[in-house]
Amino acid sequence: MSTVTATRTLTTDSPRPRRAPRKMFANPVAGGLRIVLFLMYAVPLLWIVLTSLKSPSDVIGSQSSLLFRPTIDAYVTALSNAGLFTAMQQSFVIAAGTTLLTLAIAIPAGYGLARVNSAVTTVILGALIVFQMLPQTANVIPLFQIFGQWGLLDTNFGLIIADTALLTPFAVLLMRPFFRAVPVALEEAAMLDGASSIRVFRSVMLPLARNGIATTGTLVFLLAWGEFLYAVNFFLSPVNYPLSALLAAQVSAFGINWPGLMALAVITSVPILILFFFTYRLLREGLTLGAVK
Amino acid sequence: MSNLTTAPPAGAPSVRRRGGGRTPASRRRITGAGGNRHLFFILPAALFLLVFAVYPVVQLVRMSLSDVRVDNLGADWQFVGLENVIRNFGDGAFGGVIINTVVFVAIVTVLGLVGGLAAAILLAPTGKWPGLILALLVFVWALPPVVNGSVWKFLLGTQGLFNTLLTDLGLASTAVPFLFDDRLALVSVALVNSWVVIPFNALVYRAAIIGIPGELFEASRVDGASRWQEIRHVIIPSVRSTTMILTVLTVVYGFRSFDFIYVMTFGGPGTATTTLPFLGYVQAFVRFDFGLGASTALIAVLMVLVLAVIYARNVRQEEK
Repeated sequence: MSTVTATRTLTTDSPRPRRAPRKMFANPVAGGLRIVLFLMYAVPLLWIVLTSLKSPSDVIGSQSSLLFRPTIDAYVTALSNAGLFTAMQQSFVIAAGTTLLTLAIAIPAGYGLARVNSAVTTVILGALIVFQMLPQTANVIPLFQIFGQWGLLDTNFGLIIADTALLTPFAVLLMRPFFRAVPVALEEAAMLDGASSIRVFRSVMLPLARNGIATTGTLVFLLAWGEFLYAVNFFLSPVNYPLSALLAAQVSAFGINWPGLMALAVITSVPILILFFFTYRLLREGLTLGAVK
Repeated sequence: MSNLTTAPPAGAPSVRRRGGGRTPASRRRITGAGGNRHLFFILPAALFLLVFAVYPVVQLVRMSLSDVRVDNLGADWQFVGLENVIRNFGDGAFGGVIINTVVFVAIVTVLGLVGGLAAAILLAPTGKWPGLILALLVFVWALPPVVNGSVWKFLLGTQGLFNTLLTDLGLASTAVPFLFDDRLALVSVALVNSWVVIPFNALVYRAAIIGIPGELFEASRVDGASRWQEIRHVIIPSVRSTTMILTVLTVVYGFRSFDFIYVMTFGGPGTATTTLPFLGYVQAFVRFDFGLGASTALIAVLMVLVLAVIYARNVRQEEK
């Protein structure tokens, strides 16, 4: 119960009345614009699915034709390719490994930074913001050299480490407000009862911040699932590519088999859809966290 | 990974202000004498990032000042000072790449902010349809960039949906080379990037709009303001601080954009869609001139530092 309250305070609770926007723009113009917005985002998704159900010859004629005989050939071909299962497995191992490792170091760091108020905090927060903003292309160049020296190229472990380094700043910055929302008094009560710092963290803070952990974990998983630049460069052969890297390698190829590619895109997106279905509310509130003043 | 910058690290201020259960006394107790024991919790992340984030930047700096190719990537870098930077600026294409970067970032930022605000205003009311459309937008944002990039490469192709519509409606006599024309390609990729960042900006703007006191709208209504005036005189001024923060985030997002360029055009035709961070990648991993690539990437890093300072200032002002 108290978890709910804590997150509420963080995300939606506002002392000011919020009835105004409800009535706003309930006119036909807004309705029309909403349909335009809907189409802008729905049509491309629809087209992925439609194209994946076409035969290559239907696509060559006219890619935008709505009249065609649906076929699941593209999926059959894709799924009968043993490489796809390896890629799927790789995607899960890498995304799950990255999520676990990132959470393992980012949760305590977010808590620590939520509770320490000193110059050190300011410096660390500033550094995290900078690292979060760095172009990934600036990391991939030195990491390629470092991983080469340390024998981490071509290994899942290397990729998990690289992805974790990429996503940790973001995860820490996202976790911190969730811990800040927990009243210090709760910790102090536990300490008066004789609990150690670590005990307080484990038994009091972790359960109270579990919405934040779920939000952060979901976002890290989504981002690690979609990451392909490290995968394309740190795996020396496409055999080890996760789905995203496999897809990227296909797109840049000449003479693209569009139905096959779109089937691959659908297969890559399905886990995201499932995750999204269960965590949408968390994501929506977690992402707006920064804006609710 | 281009989604990354879009996450707001600005959550802290909102919480700090309403830390209701927090009395000055309790704060003193926790941050006073034994308060810094919490630094212990930061240690694992700090060590990890020192090795895998700070050290790589140090190597990037060293590499940018050396002659590093494939054969000596492992060892024996020859120090060449600023020669890589000089070579970059001496290259005729470099100026064009800078211009590409500015144009690209400008398009993504303007469309990302305007589109985000417009979508937020449309989707601020509670209800079934606005809720569903918002969920659709956020889902698109959450999709892997390679998926979004490949579908747009398909849609913008010579025989893609857009060209078929344009020619069928008689708006164009021949197919528009969205991704093959020197100028159009950059705009096309930037448009797709805006399309992906709008959902995130809409989500953040929407929260800000919902937070506007209802009396403001009632007052403007009493004054007989039209909806457009309401947007101009109530909504836009009220979300000013959100706009400041989103501007920096969107600029950074556009600047470090990589995935869509890689998938849709790979920097081409020629260098028409090559932006600064992408140039660094191509120099290192396509031309295998790691020193040159590192120097380009370092220039990009320095630019981000400037943006980070602006961002930190805005966030701090927010906290006050």
